[in-house]
Amino acid sequence: MLEQQLVNGFTLGLIYALIAVGYTMVYGVIELINFAHGEVYMFGAFLCMMFLTVFGAPLIVAVLLSMGCCAVMGVLLDVVAYRPLRNAPRLAALITAIGMSIFLQNLAMIIWGSRPLPFVKQALPAFFKDTALSFGDVNVSWMQMTIYIAAVAMMISLNLVITRTRIGTAMRALAQNRVCASLMGINVNRVISFTFALGSGLGAMAGIMVSMFYNTMYPTMGYNAGVKAFAAAVLGGIGSVPGAMFGGVVLGIAETLGAGYVSSPYRDGVAYAVMILVIILRPSGLLGRAVTEKA
Amino acid sequence: MRGVTALLGPLKYLLLAAALLYPLTPASDVYVLHVVVLVMVYMVLAMGLNILPGFCGLLDLGYVGFYGIGAYTAGLLTLNYDLSFWVIVPLAVVNGALWGVILGAPTLRLVGDYFAIVTFGFSELVVLFLTNEIWLTRGPLGLPGIAPVSLDVSWLSRLFNPEWDWKYTFSGEIPYYYLGMVMVFAVYVVMRRVEDSRLGRAWLAIREDPMAAASTGVNLFAYKVIAFAVSTGIGALAGAFFARWTMFLSPDMFKFWESFLVLCMVVLGGLGNINGALIGSAVLISLGEILRVALPRLGLPAETRFLVYGLIMVLIMRFRPGGFFTAVSESTMKSPLIMDLRRRLAARKTG
Repeated sequence: MLEQQLVNGFTLGLIYALIAVGYTMVYGVIELINFAHGEVYMFGAFLCMMFLTVFGAPLIVAVLLSMGCCAVMGVLLDVVAYRPLRNAPRLAALITAIGMSIFLQNLAMIIWGSRPLPFVKQALPAFFKDTALSFGDVNVSWMQMTIYIAAVAMMISLNLVITRTRIGTAMRALAQNRVCASLMGINVNRVISFTFALGSGLGAMAGIMVSMFYNTMYPTMGYNAGVKAFAAAVLGGIGSVPGAMFGGVVLGIAETLGAGYVSSPYRDGVAYAVMILVIILRPSGLLGRAVTEKA
Repeated sequence: MRGVTALLGPLKYLLLAAALLYPLTPASDVYVLHVVVLVMVYMVLAMGLNILPGFCGLLDLGYVGFYGIGAYTAGLLTLNYDLSFWVIVPLAVVNGALWGVILGAPTLRLVGDYFAIVTFGFSELVVLFLTNEIWLTRGPLGLPGIAPVSLDVSWLSRLFNPEWDWKYTFSGEIPYYYLGMVMVFAVYVVMRRVEDSRLGRAWLAIREDPMAAASTGVNLFAYKVIAFAVSTGIGALAGAFFARWTMFLSPDMFKFWESFLVLCMVVLGGLGNINGALIGSAVLISLGEILRVALPRLGLPAETRFLVYGLIMVLIMRFRPGGFFTAVSESTMKSPLIMDLRRRLAARKTG
């Protein structure tokens, strides 16, 4: 029982980690809690379903198309909503982010209806249901294996992008000091847009995997997942990409264990409680920089 | 421009008189009264929240949690112990402020977004608690049948007129309209007095520059905790009134959306501006009601209401990121130095 919980928690945690990376990268670059990120994740799931049913695309094509569309959506979000407010009070940008989140959530409700929809079963390969690994009484399905492989592959490639490429270096420079980075000849707006595209693409992937794993999608799914992923980003230390990955996994496992052994109605509460405790006891997160006031 | 300002003085009293007399006129409408009472509840909430981001520069994203605590405190005390409204209000305020201190004391040392996120998480936990502790709150079913406000002054019957029934139970919107007006007025006066007091000046100093404030002897932590307690207490006051007015509570009423709405009211009116908070709440609640009526007429589904609402907030922030009325305190306007500067600026413009 415990082992099965751990395996399920790990699956969930990897998905949170994929969303959390989007939050933490955007926060690192422009210090904004992008509340609309959860909605991008939700759109990822719905767009994938649309490509599967309406255009009859194969699964892998639908996933890639959906990720691409969400990346474009993330860039649009930045260009249309956040860029004009770059020098405005931070509260204005935050309210814009929440406003966009409400807008997108209701847009999805108008397009696809507010009732939960199942994932397209026929599009999944048949072997997904089979057991891939089995030790003791723990079973890991091929679907879970696929999620692990895809998530881990994405995190590794993300890390490579951030540490090895020119644009990744530019992102890190921006996170340290925006003015100084622009003086070094970095096109600030282009790097910020790239960050949004990267985060949104990963968020879309997470949305698709969640809807596949639980076989359901609904317009408000972005809210809870977004909040929890943000909690994961805080847990790992906001602004730190490895921290977000680590935080996501820890939070996913804590949540499943909390639901299994403490109280299942408070499943979502575990994430909030962990987040509040971490902020109070160690505000810099497990792998982040210090944030308490100097005075 | 000067003509308009000169008119504003008498116009203010005219508006107040109209507001006082409106329910008594035959033209008064129950729906309008209901919306106005709702506006009053939000006015109190907006004034209470204004203390944190407006005066102290602390962003609170979970204000509705304390509103919910106040409302459920009032609702449960009414249902289980049948206490009078006038006893419940102070209890609810104290309970709200107590939770404010419990949450605030360990977290107020944090800065910026971290504090915002803690308050957000707390309000989500409040909603989860209200939904899941069914033995106490009946969970998602809500609390129906909360008694309305009543005014029991039967002790007066010993002094005069024993035949009279000295008990009055509120029914309909009109008594709540006046009670709400008293509540808004009381909170408004307190806020205006606090704003220019030693306490208010300390808060503004913290907002402008915490380090400078600390070095001039402002105890940052103590003043922030007081701000949080006062703010959450006012939130709970609005909640207690709301509980006895709607006579029904459910956890859905205290979701994050409400916190966002109140924050928008404060920002729309201009952070730190008490009058602005009042105008902001009147504008946003009316906007919600207008959209509710107008959108179905245009053949759009009801869901579009929030869509349009979100879009309008984005547009307002895009074009007026500082809100419509930026705060300038009364004492500043009356300061001879500032008045002289303004006069010279005006002279330069015309000349």
